Amino acid sequence: MFFVCPLGEAEPAPEDGAPAIVARLAFEGEPSGSLTLRLTEQAAHSIAADFLGEDEESLTGQRTGEVVCEMANMICGSVLSRVESLTAFRLAEPRILTIGEGAGEHQGGVALAVDLPNGRLTLLMNTERPECLEIAESTC
Amino acid sequence: MAYRVLIVDDSPAMRAFVHRVIELSGFDLSACFEASNGEEALALLRSEWVDAILTDVNMPHMDGQEFLRRLAGDQMLRSIPAIVISTDSTRHRMESMASLGARGYITKPFLPEALRAELERTLGVPCD
Repeated sequence: MFFVCPLGEAEPAPEDGAPAIVARLAFEGEPSGSLTLRLTEQAAHSIAADFLGEDEESLTGQRTGEVVCEMANMICGSVLSRVESLTAFRLAEPRILTIGEGAGEHQGGVALAVDLPNGRLTLLMNTERPECLEIAESTC
Repeated sequence: MAYRVLIVDDSPAMRAFVHRVIELSGFDLSACFEASNGEEALALLRSEWVDAILTDVNMPHMDGQEFLRRLAGDQMLRSIPAIVISTDSTRHRMESMASLGARGYITKPFLPEALRAELERTLGVPCD
């Protein structure tokens, strides 16, 4: 749906100075936790343009943020759907983070990164139950 | 026959994407309405008739589950088939939404062909 061809896995370290768009959403269930998605800004604009079928030049930052949030929503839902659970999970509304809200921090848990044609996508997942992170790692 | 569809999702990006995908899939669409939650959708349905509803689950003000309950409880609206579009692919969720009256279920991410197939199956559109 996002028309992205990853180039391969990368080292999930924050890119120094590279502008990025970061979305985070919390989830409740068994387990509860959070997922943070970080996309290089250029990659985010390109992905958003393809997703919406619009020109990159005409895209607003808000529209790009909406697409990044939706991407985080889909990835999180996909991962959690693969975790055996006795209860249903519920995703909170994803939101775009600012630097002041920890957008540039690596908070532990599972961190995965893939290089894209024009940037990098990094996923950070934290859960109450560490064993769920193994499933997250294999799913992503 | 061309169909009127209502898309219910709190994400403007997702609503735009689903609308675009329906058109790109070749589905016979005559009108497409949008609402950001169940409450808004019900208000729209008081003045506009649709042939099918595509609804998200997690939405503010009125989520997909409550929206389906309200549809099922309305004599006029209960005949409109609702298809759930969700990231949750667990059997628990699918069964839960089916028990509330959902006639179809699509898991995100999805291909345009899959969305069209589910719409046509739900509406009883003959295969080409």
